Amino acid sequence: MSGDDAHARELAMLGTARAQVRFAVVLAILVALPFVATPFQLDLANQVLLASIGALALMLLTGFAGLISLGTAGLLAAGAYTVGVLVREVGAPFWLTLPAAAAIGACLGLIFGLPSLRLRGLYLAISTLGLHFVVVYLGGEYEARATLSTGIMIDSPSIAGWTLSSGRAWYFVLLGFAALAVLISVNLHRTRTGRAWRALRERDVVAGALGIDVQRFKLMAFVVSATMTAVAGALFAYFRNFVSIDAFSLYLTVQYVAMIIIGGMGSIPGAVLGAAFVIVFPYAIEAIAGYLPARFGNMVFALDYAAFGVVMILFLLLEPDGLIGIWQRMRNWYVARRAGAAPMKARR
Amino acid sequence: MRVPPLLHFAAAIAVAGLLPLAGAKADDAYTIGVTAAMTGPAAATQAPVIEMLRIYVDNLNAKGGINGHRINLLVEDDQAEPSKAAANATKLIRQDNVMLLIDSSLSSTYGPVIAESKRANVPLWFAGAVCPKGTHPPKPEPTLFCSTGFDFGYDIPVAVDAIKAAAKGPVKIGMIGMPIPISRIGIENAQKQGEKLGMTTVDTEFIPPTAADYTPFATKLKQNEPNWAFAYAPWPTEVRTFEALRRLGWSGTYLCYGHIQAEEELKRVADGGFQVFTVNAFFQDNLPVQKEIREVAAKGKYSYPATYADEGWITGRALEQILTKAGWPANAEKIAAAMATLNLDTQGLRGGPLVWTSDNHFRTKQYYRFYRYDPEQKGIVRMRDWLTVDVVN
Amino acid sequence: MSQQLVANVVVLAAIYALVSAGYVLVYRVSRVLNLAHGELMMVGAYLLVATAGLFSGNPLVGLLLAAVCGLVMGIAVYAVLMRWMTGEAVLASVLITIALGILLRGLSILIWTTQQLYPAATFGWHNPPVAIGPGVRISAASVAIVILAAAVYAALFVFLQFTRWGVRMRAAGQNPLLAEQRGIRLHGVYAFAWGLSTFTASLAGMLLALDSGVESTMATIGLKAFPAALVGGLDSLFGAVIGAVIVAAAEIAAIQYVNPLLSDVVPFVVLLIVLAIRPWGLFGSREQLDRV
Repeated sequence: MSGDDAHARELAMLGTARAQVRFAVVLAILVALPFVATPFQLDLANQVLLASIGALALMLLTGFAGLISLGTAGLLAAGAYTVGVLVREVGAPFWLTLPAAAAIGACLGLIFGLPSLRLRGLYLAISTLGLHFVVVYLGGEYEARATLSTGIMIDSPSIAGWTLSSGRAWYFVLLGFAALAVLISVNLHRTRTGRAWRALRERDVVAGALGIDVQRFKLMAFVVSATMTAVAGALFAYFRNFVSIDAFSLYLTVQYVAMIIIGGMGSIPGAVLGAAFVIVFPYAIEAIAGYLPARFGNMVFALDYAAFGVVMILFLLLEPDGLIGIWQRMRNWYVARRAGAAPMKARR
Repeated sequence: MRVPPLLHFAAAIAVAGLLPLAGAKADDAYTIGVTAAMTGPAAATQAPVIEMLRIYVDNLNAKGGINGHRINLLVEDDQAEPSKAAANATKLIRQDNVMLLIDSSLSSTYGPVIAESKRANVPLWFAGAVCPKGTHPPKPEPTLFCSTGFDFGYDIPVAVDAIKAAAKGPVKIGMIGMPIPISRIGIENAQKQGEKLGMTTVDTEFIPPTAADYTPFATKLKQNEPNWAFAYAPWPTEVRTFEALRRLGWSGTYLCYGHIQAEEELKRVADGGFQVFTVNAFFQDNLPVQKEIREVAAKGKYSYPATYADEGWITGRALEQILTKAGWPANAEKIAAAMATLNLDTQGLRGGPLVWTSDNHFRTKQYYRFYRYDPEQKGIVRMRDWLTVDVVN
Repeated sequence: MSQQLVANVVVLAAIYALVSAGYVLVYRVSRVLNLAHGELMMVGAYLLVATAGLFSGNPLVGLLLAAVCGLVMGIAVYAVLMRWMTGEAVLASVLITIALGILLRGLSILIWTTQQLYPAATFGWHNPPVAIGPGVRISAASVAIVILAAAVYAALFVFLQFTRWGVRMRAAGQNPLLAEQRGIRLHGVYAFAWGLSTFTASLAGMLLALDSGVESTMATIGLKAFPAALVGGLDSLFGAVIGAVIVAAAEIAAIQYVNPLLSDVVPFVVLLIVLAIRPWGLFGSREQLDRV
């Protein structure tokens, strides 16, 4: 085979026949799902897809580029409120509000990213925390003064008479957006930007010495991540037909951080798995709570909080590579077995 | 080997799909859904209502249920968050096929829940939570009902009028609220009403719930030297502001809405100038039903003082009447029809019966009582017996 | 009236300072930012509710017992949880404290429900107002907070400067490697720092509970006190006091002269300004602003 061929196959995402077949199978499952799932399971799947976009955005920023951000909820709020304000004030259609949300996200990304030029690690996280509170305050003020009531109701988006409101229709729309998010993430990872980010994450001083424009790539990480998050927030507003500042609490940010940790930091499939885990978790707790004595059964809700804290702690202590880490260990074990080697001992 | 990320999508979603999820499909029971703020900011006012409702329903089931069938009460926590409330409504209506949805949460969560219930034509009952406009006469939304005692449209004029009536001389009033919609609207209406009656509003404070110390807000209020103060906000804000004002040496009279915690707290605060107006009777009135509530609460291991249980009790009894009327087999339409003819004797807990008709899903009359602590008698005294206000269109 | 304002600032600053002491202690000694501090403060307040139930006739015993439990709680948190994160990435430690905070919130509601509780009432104490000057009044509990904050800081100063354990803690904070090589057992020092931190947090929580009751959202006060610690410098106790005064003054000025609703966001605006100008705070050591 010629050099060109091999090179092209290297670059292609689905280079081998095997990868192509796998992809086809997965696609088939994904497409078939909405037709076999119950309405509730479909809603759950939609929530997972929506959360994946935000999780991937955070993963790009923190997992790839190593820039800690606690501003996810604020950015989601910004995207959702852009839609809410535009719909309420001028009745704008979705093909205006979505790009507007993306633009607002980009601007905020720039603002959130500026501290990163001077601060690192903990202090950067703290600055994003401060910005979160400011954004939430502004959203609350708008809501209080302008609506004076219960948040903003948003009609489902529609084109030429057809309205996007059924669970199935949303599934394919969200699947499209999530796939786009995955595509962007994979591409960024494999190209110069991703490599620059990885260099930044390791040692940004050394990266600078190597000729990488540290400032530009740091800001780019924030801008890209914030844009994706804001678009996720906008989709959320349309999905729930409703925007209110109460939904965007610090706990929401913590959940997204948990997603990338539980899934596996720095891993694209990890972000998706983490999103699925965190979204489904409360329902699993609820199923268990049915078997507990009434006193605690009543407090399923507090139980959920406590259990979530415990799970996060367990993953941070015992499995820092997250679900992907577990998956990889299982795979390695299986591969080693097949190759005839003795099973590898666990790393700790 | 690179694993295509999409595989993980599929795995994730498949996991979600195969997960056995709770939601008892009991076809021979009345399935009732509840979305409520059981934890989170509003829980202090909402959770006690639903917990008593749950105990009441458990007792009904123990006695054989209604029309020979159990009631399956499915309670979901929405933490006073709209997105969670939306997800709860979706699950309860689409997955669990509830015949009736009860909402006991903050008004900011109503939007999506109302939309979902309308779409599915399932009756939505607001219990212990703000009554939205859609429940008021003359033309309420067919699926929206509200049994909650308070309503700012009537509370405010009654309270402000009462201040005017009780005041000897010109009234300089300070207003206290919290930056949540109902409190903001309520206080604004109070200001307008006060102006109409010739009162001067000297200062208004909207106090965020996370204030570590209420003294700075009270300082500002006191500086303007009001002789009366009116508060319409969640209870902690109302009582803490009052205590802060007293500590600063303010000696005026304070009127505020009496939430479920009011009776216990009046005894704790023990100040003659602290007055509340309520829609449910205090337990010190010693009604026979209140004795019954105490017993039921004790037996059911209610986690709150029995005085918090009256709203939940009324909800439980109303539910009992509605389901009895709806008969069996029941569905959403029959329950909605039964709700539109509710006529519940509140056994003295309110000033009169709770009545719903086809063009009034709120009630026909609103009742109020006024209480305060009497330092001489060392107990709570009722300042005023039931004040009846007709609900107008 | 301005004297009353000054008094209000002093009280609020004392609250923030007392809470910030805990942030600073843990950060200075082990370089970990404990974002569960607010929740630990809240648990301290709930501990008082528990001891008040047991010793309702004897407030001092109740207070003392609750405070000791607070100390033990801090040591336990280190021994069971934070110990394993020593030496790990900073982000992971911070995230674990966040997770701990969430766990504590859930447990608090499971144990004590969402009801608002008043330990002062259990003790039969009415928190009378105290006149501390012409036309200036604050609650007795607030006086206690101010006195206690001053006492705690004085004690901490003496402790860190002059006692053996205090010197060990400072050494561990300055250079853990050298300290360990000199025979200072880091785990013991860190555990003690955590114990002291939750001890002070519990005191703050208990006094706040005596002043205005405790319920499940009290932990956010801990979060609002954090900017005070940062403004002063995360590893400077003296800075924490100054930071607390600055944040408290800004907050009360906002309430009095601008808009009461700003009081929630003002501490974080101050935080952002300081981060922009001088990230290591007014009196903090200019570390290399670590990376993750």
